[in-house]
Amino acid sequence: MMPPGSGRPGRPVLLQTERFALRSLKPIDAPERWVKWLKDPEVMGPLNSPLRQSTTQELRAHIASADNNERYLIGIFDLATQVQIGFFMIEVELVHRRATFNVVIGEKAWWGKDVVNETRAALLDEFFNDRGVDKAMGMPLARNFPAIFNYKAQGWRHEGTLRGHCLSITDGSRLDQLQFGISKTEWFEKRGKNRR
Amino acid sequence: MNSSQQARQFLAEATSCAAISIPDDARIGQFAAWDSLAHLRLIIRIEEAIGRQLDPDETVRIESLAEIAALITSTA
Repeated sequence: MMPPGSGRPGRPVLLQTERFALRSLKPIDAPERWVKWLKDPEVMGPLNSPLRQSTTQELRAHIASADNNERYLIGIFDLATQVQIGFFMIEVELVHRRATFNVVIGEKAWWGKDVVNETRAALLDEFFNDRGVDKAMGMPLARNFPAIFNYKAQGWRHEGTLRGHCLSITDGSRLDQLQFGISKTEWFEKRGKNRR
Repeated sequence: MNSSQQARQFLAEATSCAAISIPDDARIGQFAAWDSLAHLRLIIRIEEAIGRQLDPDETVRIESLAEIAALITSTA
């Protein structure tokens, strides 16, 4: 494990689940399909992320900024086709041994098919076992119901509601945000009972 | 239709299952047809029925058929 606050690049993530491969993205991975996701209101709307007309070059620079130590960009690839269908962005606060998980499933054909929890389970194993993390967090918007479902189905706890925490990028209203968390101990207790 | 029957009906519509096939103890993470998109449909259906948006603390409590029924009762 990298010592806290070292600021040095870490080991890339390379994992496999029943249906998916997970690996740290490289600048060369910046795919046209990712450009498409960033322009799609159905994909980006629930995240309250502005729609972007990013170029492949900008995405490559964005991917290059992930150091696999404090910031990870991890692609989700369909094992059968090797096509990337989404990605995780994970930010680690090394001092607190805490990781915040964000996920985008860009390919809508995979929505509702348990991609998030199958892949996030492997990442929780990896980060808790091998990357010095003791607590994982997620911060979905309060009306991102599929995301909330996934946290609850995976055994994360609702730790709080942040009222009017974000400004809507579409209409300027204040949006509520939820905080979910799961500790290393809770995860492995649950993992013992349920492999996902 | 009482709140339990209504809850079962809403979950049946959201999951595209027959109401009779939904177990009494149906719960997130245990009833396979209740996936993330079904959850989205379920909450929208409840909001249509009660005529307002649920607040965050109401939506986050929805984990089981029994909790859907309790929510319907509390908003009646």
